[in-house]
Amino acid sequence: MSEKLQQIINRQNNALVGNEQKVEEVIQLVGFIVGDEEFSIPILSIQEIIKPISWTRVPQTPAYILGVFNLRGSVIPLIDLRARFGLELQKHTEETRFIVMKNGDDVAGFVIDRLTEAIRMPKRDVGPAPDTVAESDTMIDGVGKQADRIVTILKVHKLLERNF
Amino acid sequence: MDEFEEILQDFLIEAFELIEQLDQDLVELETRPDDLDLLNRIFRVAHTIKGASSFLNFDVLTHLTHHMENLLNMARHGDLVIDANVMDVILESIDLMKALLVRIRDSSSDAGVEVAGCVERLDAVANGEASVVPVAVVVEPIVAIKAVEDEVDYSQLSEAEVEAEIERLLAEKQTEAMAKRSSAQVVIEEEPDYSNMSDAEVEAEIERLLLEKQAQDAAKRANKSQNSTPPPPAPLAPVVVAPVPPKVEAAPPPKPAATPRRSEPKEEGGESKGGATVEQTIRVDVKRLDHLMNLIGELVLGKNRLIKINDDVEERYEGEAFLEELNQVVSIVSLVTTDLQIAVMKTRMLPIGKVFNKFPRMIRDLSRELNKKIELEITGEDTELDKSIVEEIGDPLVHIIRNSCDHGVEIPQIRLDAGKEEVGTIQLKAYHEGNHIVIQIIDDGKGLDPEMLKSKALDKGLITEKEADGMSDKEAFALIFRPGFSTAAQVTSVSGRGVGMDVVKTNIEKLNGMIDIDSEVGRGTSMKLKIPLTLAIIQALLVGVQEEYYAIPLASVLETVRIAKDDIYTVESRSVMRLRDEVLSLVHIGDIFEVERVFDNSEHAYVVVLGLAESKIGLIVDTLIGQEEIVIKSLGEYLKGIEGIAGATIRGDGGVTLIVDVAALMLMAKSVKSTVGQTGSEAKKIGVKNSASDYCVMIVDDSKTDRTIIRKSLEPLGITIVEAVDGIEALNILKQGDHFFDGMLIDIEMPRMDGYTLASEIKKYNKYKNMPLIAVTSRSGKADRMRGVESGMVEYITKPYSPDYLMNVVKRNIKFTEGF
Repeated sequence: MSEKLQQIINRQNNALVGNEQKVEEVIQLVGFIVGDEEFSIPILSIQEIIKPISWTRVPQTPAYILGVFNLRGSVIPLIDLRARFGLELQKHTEETRFIVMKNGDDVAGFVIDRLTEAIRMPKRDVGPAPDTVAESDTMIDGVGKQADRIVTILKVHKLLERNF
Repeated sequence: MDEFEEILQDFLIEAFELIEQLDQDLVELETRPDDLDLLNRIFRVAHTIKGASSFLNFDVLTHLTHHMENLLNMARHGDLVIDANVMDVILESIDLMKALLVRIRDSSSDAGVEVAGCVERLDAVANGEASVVPVAVVVEPIVAIKAVEDEVDYSQLSEAEVEAEIERLLAEKQTEAMAKRSSAQVVIEEEPDYSNMSDAEVEAEIERLLLEKQAQDAAKRANKSQNSTPPPPAPLAPVVVAPVPPKVEAAPPPKPAATPRRSEPKEEGGESKGGATVEQTIRVDVKRLDHLMNLIGELVLGKNRLIKINDDVEERYEGEAFLEELNQVVSIVSLVTTDLQIAVMKTRMLPIGKVFNKFPRMIRDLSRELNKKIELEITGEDTELDKSIVEEIGDPLVHIIRNSCDHGVEIPQIRLDAGKEEVGTIQLKAYHEGNHIVIQIIDDGKGLDPEMLKSKALDKGLITEKEADGMSDKEAFALIFRPGFSTAAQVTSVSGRGVGMDVVKTNIEKLNGMIDIDSEVGRGTSMKLKIPLTLAIIQALLVGVQEEYYAIPLASVLETVRIAKDDIYTVESRSVMRLRDEVLSLVHIGDIFEVERVFDNSEHAYVVVLGLAESKIGLIVDTLIGQEEIVIKSLGEYLKGIEGIAGATIRGDGGVTLIVDVAALMLMAKSVKSTVGQTGSEAKKIGVKNSASDYCVMIVDDSKTDRTIIRKSLEPLGITIVEAVDGIEALNILKQGDHFFDGMLIDIEMPRMDGYTLASEIKKYNKYKNMPLIAVTSRSGKADRMRGVESGMVEYITKPYSPDYLMNVVKRNIKFTEGF
């Protein structure tokens, strides 16, 4: 009897451990479109996603910095990802969103063309960034392979890094 | 251990507070060496620190303070005359004590600071060897004065005084005898002159003795139990009671070289009068106050917003009963917020005396070092200002005062020759002026010679000859703030290295302050620093340029003037204007902040005259919005350090407005090429049309048929045509700015927004103020035409029309040039 019980407990434990491993391996991302490509960032680095609101231009900054906007009393920089990636500017549409990303104390809003979906992806499906991009300078953290497409995962800390 | 930490913290706070007052007292003591109150106070400081440090096992500190105490005790009993030399040693020991305390604060240990030399000197002075040469202080002994001090006029002593003197001498003898008997001198030094003490003091003394004993016992115990603390109890140096000095006590107060005095000799911390008034204070961590201030900032923003909404509501629901109530609530909230803000600001206020206190000592040291006789007069040390500013203002003041001592006040002989009093005076004044605090430093020295300054600046290549010629005296005075400028012929350890005043300027600018120099050769120099009371919430002037707004700290705004475009002159490709008897250089805010300038045909411009530190500039803006209380917010890590922008604030409408960094703006203005008086460069760019398709016209009509007819009529021209179905859509297209439109064809009757409204909306846009609007409509009444003109239409085409007619009207209005 006790042997049987032990077996059951063991099995349960195993199952639990197995589950945990599975949970650990899955990463959660939020996908969005900029230009023709789908990008994604870890869900935990997103503070919030809002519809476009008005912003104030800040002089003496590169073109991809649209300015600053007021997010409930905080003044937050706004960066256009199209311009950041060297794409042609496009007017905001109904689907345009600001993704407010944070990394530690650094916070900034990013203009994206539209959101796609929240993605759960096993870690093993994430490959390294293509060799062609310079290792230290790249904004790409890796490439996630999904059944029908590939998703570029971006480095949030790199996006939030001032480079001018 | 935690308990120990806590005690240590308390000890440090107390010790630093005591020391702050100490410098002041000591310098005063030199003036009034017989002031027993003062002596007692100083003695108590040394004593308190000694007691506590021995309890806390700081042996080096104990050793030092012990000897100080010893010396001071002698002085207190009249066994020692405090003259300049003795004072030098005492001050040296105080400095050492400070160093030790700082060390303890930083490393919780007082090891590593050498005190033996100082202790030796203390003892030597106590022994009456007045000739001891203290280190680091130039001894240009004021022999004459010393002589005066030593010479006591017995004839002036009253009988009672003589009695006292005898008694004192007797007591002294006894003390001396006791000293010889006792190896542990603790007892001796605790032997105060009881006859000179009030009851309260005797009480205090007894308590002190008890505490002392306890402290020492505790220290011994602690030492035994704590072998890990290496330094053994300080070796108790033999105490030598000074041989009875020839004559003392009633000596008339001598007039030493440096006589720093406060014009209002206010006895601060009159503890000797007994602890009757218990201070109702509580220590609060500055962080908490900062947090409170931040919250108030948010509240102020909320208030601004509320006021704005109230105004909007008022407009919309005029005459409704609930408005009254809303109004009341809004005004109460606004009132309370303002009061709250002032109240919290007050909690952060510190008297500027905190900074001023260190100057008497500084002047004393400087005057000894420079062989000058300088008196410092301080007024308004109770004037309060924000803690953060108090912290920042110290350094600039040190520089200015050092400068006044070194370059301003002359040496005594020259002063006498010039018919001035031998003793130079430096006045340090502080007072409130509106939302500012003014600090004035006035010396009666030789003054600044503008010609000399100019030639000096020329030599150093700081200015050109041309600049020098056109310089007013004030501008010449301002040269001393240039980096690399130094007026001292000889570089001394005090100043003349050409860094000081430059630092002053930067620091004052950081505080949004202004500097005003006034000087007269031979009469002296006055420097006026004007500094805003707080930094977090400020009054700002809001200005507009095109469609952007900027906030300028009102502290830097001297005045605003409205000028005609004709009043702007160009001198060497720089714009200037005449403001009363001054020539003011101008810069357009749009040039500084890269504002896209579309059309600006107004004949007038507003000039905001900015003043900062000692410089002035005129900033041209399109509109003045008004004055508002704003809360400074940082732009964050990502955007920090943007040139010309000090921060941002959130306005009543929820939008973000950038705050102008006036100091940076003035720098930028120097390198910006002026475009004042020219039409915007953007406008020129638009004017260049290379092909027919560069022309762009919008058709606004709700009927698809009409739109097609118009399109067909214009197609032969080859111009770009954009269509919109109603006013709202047309406005959106304009806002997006994908195209720059040369003209618009507008139907009058449309859903959502009609043609008239659209026209007047478009006219609100600076960019399209001058765009021709052509009405295309079936309404042909005169009234309709009138309305069309009123709303800004330039042409009125009534349906039906011939395609040619339409095309020609459009061609004429968009100034279409054929031949592409």
